[in-house]
Amino acid sequence: MTTVAPAARNAPAVAWHHRNLIDLDVVTWPEIELIMRTTDEMNGVLARPIRKVPALNGRRVTTLFYEASTRTRVSFETAARNLSADVVSISTATSSVTKGESLVDTVRTLEALGAEILVMRHSVSGAPYRAAEVFGGHILNGGDGWHAHPTQALLDLYTMRENLPGGDLHGRKVAIVGDILHSRVARSNIWSLTAAGADLWLCGPATLLRGMDRWAAAWSGGAVPGHGRFNVTSDIEAALRDADVVMGLRIQRERMQGGLLPSLREYAARFQLNAERVSLAKPDAIVMHPGPMNEGVEISPDVAISGRSVITDQVANGVAVRMALLYLLAGSHEAAHGEAAHGEAAR
Amino acid sequence: MSADGNGVRPGALGPKIGETVERFELAKAWLVDPVSGREGPGEIVVTDGILESVVWLEGDEAAGVTDTGVIVAPGFLDLHAHFREPGFEDAETVASGCAAAAHGGYTAVVTMANTKPALDEPGILERVRSAARASASPVEVHAYGAVSAGRAGEQLSAMGELADAGVLGYSDDGAPVKSPKLLRSALVYAGMLGLPVVEHAEDLELTAGAEAHEGYVASVLGLAGWPAAAEVGAVARDLAILADVLGDEPRARLHLTHVSTAPALELVRRAKANGLPVTCDVTPHHLAFTDEWIAGSRRWAWEALGADGKPRDPWVDGALTGQPYDTSLRVNPPLRTAADAAACRDALLDGTADAVATDHAPHTTVDKEVEFGLAANGISGIETALGVLLALVDAGKLPLARAVAALTVGPAGVVAASTRGAGTSAARPRGLVEGAPADLVVFDRSEGWRVTPGSLLSKGKNSPLLGREVPGRVVLTIARGRLAYEDPAAGENDA
Repeated sequence: MTTVAPAARNAPAVAWHHRNLIDLDVVTWPEIELIMRTTDEMNGVLARPIRKVPALNGRRVTTLFYEASTRTRVSFETAARNLSADVVSISTATSSVTKGESLVDTVRTLEALGAEILVMRHSVSGAPYRAAEVFGGHILNGGDGWHAHPTQALLDLYTMRENLPGGDLHGRKVAIVGDILHSRVARSNIWSLTAAGADLWLCGPATLLRGMDRWAAAWSGGAVPGHGRFNVTSDIEAALRDADVVMGLRIQRERMQGGLLPSLREYAARFQLNAERVSLAKPDAIVMHPGPMNEGVEISPDVAISGRSVITDQVANGVAVRMALLYLLAGSHEAAHGEAAHGEAAR
Repeated sequence: MSADGNGVRPGALGPKIGETVERFELAKAWLVDPVSGREGPGEIVVTDGILESVVWLEGDEAAGVTDTGVIVAPGFLDLHAHFREPGFEDAETVASGCAAAAHGGYTAVVTMANTKPALDEPGILERVRSAARASASPVEVHAYGAVSAGRAGEQLSAMGELADAGVLGYSDDGAPVKSPKLLRSALVYAGMLGLPVVEHAEDLELTAGAEAHEGYVASVLGLAGWPAAAEVGAVARDLAILADVLGDEPRARLHLTHVSTAPALELVRRAKANGLPVTCDVTPHHLAFTDEWIAGSRRWAWEALGADGKPRDPWVDGALTGQPYDTSLRVNPPLRTAADAAACRDALLDGTADAVATDHAPHTTVDKEVEFGLAANGISGIETALGVLLALVDAGKLPLARAVAALTVGPAGVVAASTRGAGTSAARPRGLVEGAPADLVVFDRSEGWRVTPGSLLSKGKNSPLLGREVPGRVVLTIARGRLAYEDPAAGENDA
């Protein structure tokens, strides 16, 4: 009779080797599962009376927010402190950014001041890649422009797995409804949910879907390795019918000034996630929203606080997912797996 | 200086930049004369700055000389360059621009008017000319004047005075002439003066805030879409206005610069077939790069199409090897799809596009080492244009003779298409003409060169090709009988 050493039995199937996490396009499904398992462990920490471990004791985490977002910043900072990291917090209002200092200069300065992990939020798509070109530590993207919000997509995935019977997204219908065009949450969810095998539907007014049909068309043959196809539609009923997960996205007032929407009232009349529409979904479907919500616009208050809503779970899981990513990034090594070659250094 | 085509170089003891080339002989090279349409083995002799003899070799003498070694062609003419002086001398000066041009094989350029102040009256033109004289470079610097005073798009510039001072046309490039009414006036008034309006065709309302060509790549990258319709609609407008004014002013001429989309090129094709007096150019970067470069792809545009002619997906086939959101790729008009790049190539082949123009747009690192969406538009391209076209030639997508024509007789023909332009030195036929001042480039197709901040003579290091080897090393450029560029490695390989 052979025995398996506990260490071998528990060894993860995959090691984390990304220096930065900027987008999910370079993250494989086994790596996502590693993040999910690590998040489980972090949730275990958060269930203890003292919600703090010394994993990142003495490590320096800096949050650099070029866009106001108290919720996301506090979530990252809570995660870092739960791991006993030292946290420095910078937002545009209090930094030299407003004096015209360039991103590259700011990042170099923060590194000289000892930053090891940089959590970055920026209004311009791709900005963290620029930062990664000059930053020697690890960059964790807290959202860039319309491009990516990987920690949000991962906490969404974690929350879905937690709430769906069997914990598996495969074949599950997920409808994301709202301003898809301007949404980094939607874009990152495309990468993670098509990797998870979900039946993904993106829905909104045609003006707020612009361009996404071309992405969906490019992937319609299921050609991208590790990613399935997804649907783009303005038919809210088709999107919601028999869905397992219904996610609303924030609608911003600026969209009307840009001529993309007649009015918030008209949006609500046609696309609001209200009780009647959500009843098209499966009886046990869950309702999600990345926040902050415009209750009465993209989601009705009763749906937001209904028994189906897992919105507060998302917030709680956000801390655990961010703990997991800070932990994994801090343990990764730059040159591992030849990642430093080409642009991969920044990916 | 003497050399033969077997790798021997002009010699390190030649004249300095700007001095007359007293004696230069090149035996057994491949000559390309786009005026006569002839190409083949030959030899040339330059004496006291004059192209004394052009001898075409045949039979045994021609043995072993191919079009893949040392090439002699007439000096190139660039219809679209930004030399940034006056006003933005950190990015480029007339002197550094001329050095870069000569490194690219160019012996003449036409600069754009978006300097500071704009070139909207003869005094600014004189500043440009005086900087060119002071540079000692023999590269001919011509200029377009602005269409509108201060390029503000409100009233006409000092068009008549500018014509008298010698501008080759009028352009508010960097921006379109937004007002159709002003464009109409400009076409008529410039036509009266015998000069073209050179239009940057863009609908500014459709492109407000735009970052990358609207399509698959921009959608995935979360970049604000820059619709093809912004160019197509503007080209349609410009052509309609041109057709409309010809009854009043038959000398009205329109040149569309940096046309980048397949539908806009098709509009130009039809307009030409209908006899409208329109010309257009395409850029090296729209021929060779695509929007997928912004995602990190670094393959040539023609490699991004599958054997079936359909676009390949860089997320599928592992083409994403470079830095994403590289700001050297931010340019106006934006890099388009592989199909658009192929349409630019087709337009060159069938004559819809008269010329390749570089839209050489040097920028400082301050303006480029920022976030993609905040970066200045433009590619520093005058030194790599030849290499990009030779890459097309190497791939079998463009005959060598057509590439050379697009850099020589093509642009000269655009200048010659207007009555006043036809009388200028920029319009002279660019051929290998015995007895005329030597104006030629010698480049070696058997050797590439690596594009680096150090190897670029332009102050603008904003090239997407940085770090990459491009084909065709320019060995020697002679402009109007004077030395414009000599490869610093020249002579090192002498046996």
